[in-house]
Amino acid sequence: MTAKTITLSVSRYDPERDEKPSLQSYEVPYRDDMVVLDALNWIKAHADGSVNFRWSCRMGICGSCGMNVNGEPKLGCSAFLRDYLPGPVVVEPLNNFPVLRDLIIDMDSFMEKLRWVKPWIIRQETALGGGENRQTTAQIDQFRQFSMCINCMLCYSACPVIAIEPEFVGPAAIALARRYDLDSRDQAGQERLRTLTGNDAIWDCSFIGECSAVCPKDVDPAKAIQQTKFESTMGMLLPWGGKK
Amino acid sequence: MHTAAERDGLVPAPAEAPRSYPYRQPLDWFTRRRGYVLYLARELTALPIAIWWLLFLVELSRLRDGSGGYRPLEGWFVAVSVVCLVAALYHSYTFLSFAGLIMRIPLGERNVPARVIAGAAFSGFAVLTVVIAALLIWGGA
Repeated sequence: MTAKTITLSVSRYDPERDEKPSLQSYEVPYRDDMVVLDALNWIKAHADGSVNFRWSCRMGICGSCGMNVNGEPKLGCSAFLRDYLPGPVVVEPLNNFPVLRDLIIDMDSFMEKLRWVKPWIIRQETALGGGENRQTTAQIDQFRQFSMCINCMLCYSACPVIAIEPEFVGPAAIALARRYDLDSRDQAGQERLRTLTGNDAIWDCSFIGECSAVCPKDVDPAKAIQQTKFESTMGMLLPWGGKK
Repeated sequence: MHTAAERDGLVPAPAEAPRSYPYRQPLDWFTRRRGYVLYLARELTALPIAIWWLLFLVELSRLRDGSGGYRPLEGWFVAVSVVCLVAALYHSYTFLSFAGLIMRIPLGERNVPARVIAGAAFSGFAVLTVVIAALLIWGGA
């Protein structure tokens, strides 16, 4: 009896040798509980050690293994091969980023955008020794959803605006900005809002919504962006708007 | 720009940025996901509505020749209007469906549930439609 196998077509690109990426096929042993990342690791260990991809935790927490699986942005560790039977499974790097090698993208632009929105707690006064900044469950619930982002960049891959306007700060960064805006301990809502209502930010989004559709952690970045748009508009129209 | 560690000679500065292959958006990108198709359908509904307004302005301009020049109930205009009505209703449906997602209305320590906001938006839309229809039908008569 022959063992069951599945074909993986993996995007290969060597910047020192190739003009552009091309697909290379590998026959991989199949098991029902295998994910795409398992298959890639099998290829690396048994078939072709030169295949390059990022990965770390294997459990959907680190956000390292974002890739396009049959054209859909997925975490390699959460994409089960059984969902792509009988194959082939086409594995490519995320859209909207330059490819450095094989499945590895250049994420420098994303890291820069993250810094730009200041995703950390900013307080105007620092009360040293003043004890903890306590929060109620209801206060935590205000931002909990947006704090689940793992920076996997699947939302950037699904966003067609990024392809047209690479400077657009993008879904995950705005969701993280929103996370801190809604945090009762933070006092820099207005500062972030000035950034987010400027160029290359919330008003570049045309609410396609696919960022939320592909998010593996249900962060809903589209909601974060539209809520920020709504609140900035209310802040302009209403005298009591934009208090924070 | 070099990091402090590079300036101090603790780590070598990178010689140059590695060569990379830029992403190129395919021309048929909008066919690649169902969400993109629905998005384009939503955005394109603005087009027939804009065309309807242009045609309506043309009809209004005919009023200069007296009420006989105004013929809004001709077959072609009714047909265009029906298409525009469908487009407008679809656009309104998508817009109002998002209301609960977009609006965050604090209520004590919590927020008004999204379903309640969307329900209120649809109800308001229905009430306004009935009021405007009543004004047009009975007010006009």
